[in-house]
Amino acid sequence: MATNIQLPRLTRPEPRGIGWSLLLTLPIFIWSLLMLFRPGMDTDLKSRIAATITTIFMTVLFFMMMRTGSTYRWRRIFFVSVGVLFPVGFIYNIVLARGTMGIPLEEMIAGRTPFCFMPIPMLILPAALTKTLIFPGTIASTNHGIAPMVGMWLALTLVLGKGWCSYACFFGGIEEGVAAIPARARIRKLDPRWRYGPWAVLLAMVLLSLALFEPAYCMWLCPFKAVSEYVTARNTIGLVQNGIFVLLFAGLVIALPFLTKKRTQCSFFCPFGAFQSIFNKISAFEIKIDKGRCKPCLLCQNACPNLSLSKESIARGETLMSCMKCGACVDACPRQAVVWHIKGTEAACKPERARLMFLYAAWAMAVMFGGTIIYGGVATILHFIA
Amino acid sequence: MKLRPILGYTAAGATVLVAMLTPFVLMGYFANGVAALPLQVDEVYSGGPKARTVQMGAYSIVIHRPVRPHFLQSEKPFVQLDWTPVSALPQHVSDMVDIDGNGQPDIRVTFDVPKDPKAPLRVDVEPLNPRYQAMNSAGKERFSRLIVRVDNAILVRVPLANP
Repeated sequence: MATNIQLPRLTRPEPRGIGWSLLLTLPIFIWSLLMLFRPGMDTDLKSRIAATITTIFMTVLFFMMMRTGSTYRWRRIFFVSVGVLFPVGFIYNIVLARGTMGIPLEEMIAGRTPFCFMPIPMLILPAALTKTLIFPGTIASTNHGIAPMVGMWLALTLVLGKGWCSYACFFGGIEEGVAAIPARARIRKLDPRWRYGPWAVLLAMVLLSLALFEPAYCMWLCPFKAVSEYVTARNTIGLVQNGIFVLLFAGLVIALPFLTKKRTQCSFFCPFGAFQSIFNKISAFEIKIDKGRCKPCLLCQNACPNLSLSKESIARGETLMSCMKCGACVDACPRQAVVWHIKGTEAACKPERARLMFLYAAWAMAVMFGGTIIYGGVATILHFIA
Repeated sequence: MKLRPILGYTAAGATVLVAMLTPFVLMGYFANGVAALPLQVDEVYSGGPKARTVQMGAYSIVIHRPVRPHFLQSEKPFVQLDWTPVSALPQHVSDMVDIDGNGQPDIRVTFDVPKDPKAPLRVDVEPLNPRYQAMNSAGKERFSRLIVRVDNAILVRVPLANP
């Protein structure tokens, strides 16, 4: 619970000096070099150029976070880049391998369906009850296998909690980019009950997946099939499935984010996001609202892209458990009442220290995972233009 | 200093440490842990474990154990047969296959082997045992009823008549 302590006067923090910001950025620069020039990465000229561009990109964004004290806008540039470049690299590679974005039956039988993190919550019950993975992939594989992806998800989740949705998800950037386009939201009033949407979808998909013994979300509802891969339509059912994917993508990822300036797919629909919210409970980091400073003006609530703040939660001095730790509310607060916080410490006790610790961990993961995706997308573009 | 802040900072520091260790140690450790779990990919996708192999001269037919779908799964029970290697198959295959190993042929399977590996395949299955369903010029209809080429094998899945 937030407590009121002696506070300094309310002013925007001065930008850090360039030298101090550079010093704070140095570990991330070294980390980027380690991740993007590690053994096993391609060594041809275009790949090296892509790795250099990505290293500079990730380092400059972190430097700007250090220099300006703002988190959200710089993180958003990274996140949108991941969202846009993931389909570029991914689609190019699968079309190169099999000539189509559709997954033919023989590729599923061969266990060569790339595994993404989305079906993880749907695999748990069938695996626990029958020791069976209801996914047409390979358990142990060096590339796109189930075990490597689950291993990566476990490690990133320990670090990020629900922050996965702001620093690791390779889908959310598309709608965050679309939401950033209009100057103002055309639809401003959103029924708060929509917040329960992801939980409803999660429950329905987990039970359906157990009953049908297939990853029901992937088969029927994933909007991102439209920009990644889908089951090849062999009959009317396949056509209906693909139609649903395209409609959901157009509605939840393009139209509604444009109209509301919110991440509507994440806020109203994504079952993985709901599942990931559970892991916010084990995260050491959170966002707190210092009730002593808060007016409340609700600017933080308006800025939140994920409906993770309500009047009630602000009054309690905390965010809802769906908070993605994107930093939008912290940056939006003119009174610095919304702060980064380490659990167990006093509210507003050295918030910059909490922010720095979280950002080092989160950005390290962002470079390792998202940075590799950006690298792949840039390398693909270079392949086409050079 | 109170205990809660100490625990909080310890957890925060541990989070940073976990992040540093993730690409070098933890990711592989967790992945190996998941791979070591006694899990298998659903047999509707994998085709089930191999039961026996019948040698047919230059090529062989691998017979899998029948696969029975779970609960509300939309697929029918089926048995998978693999003709391998493709390079040793004649242009036209017509084999009687004893699936259950009782010495009596259960089905006659007929298909052409096109030279182009991406060319669509068609199969006819004539049941000689009422346990198996007929297939007429079937292609890739569903997991439980298909003929596909996977790497160096041609897979035929024959639906069972009496689940």
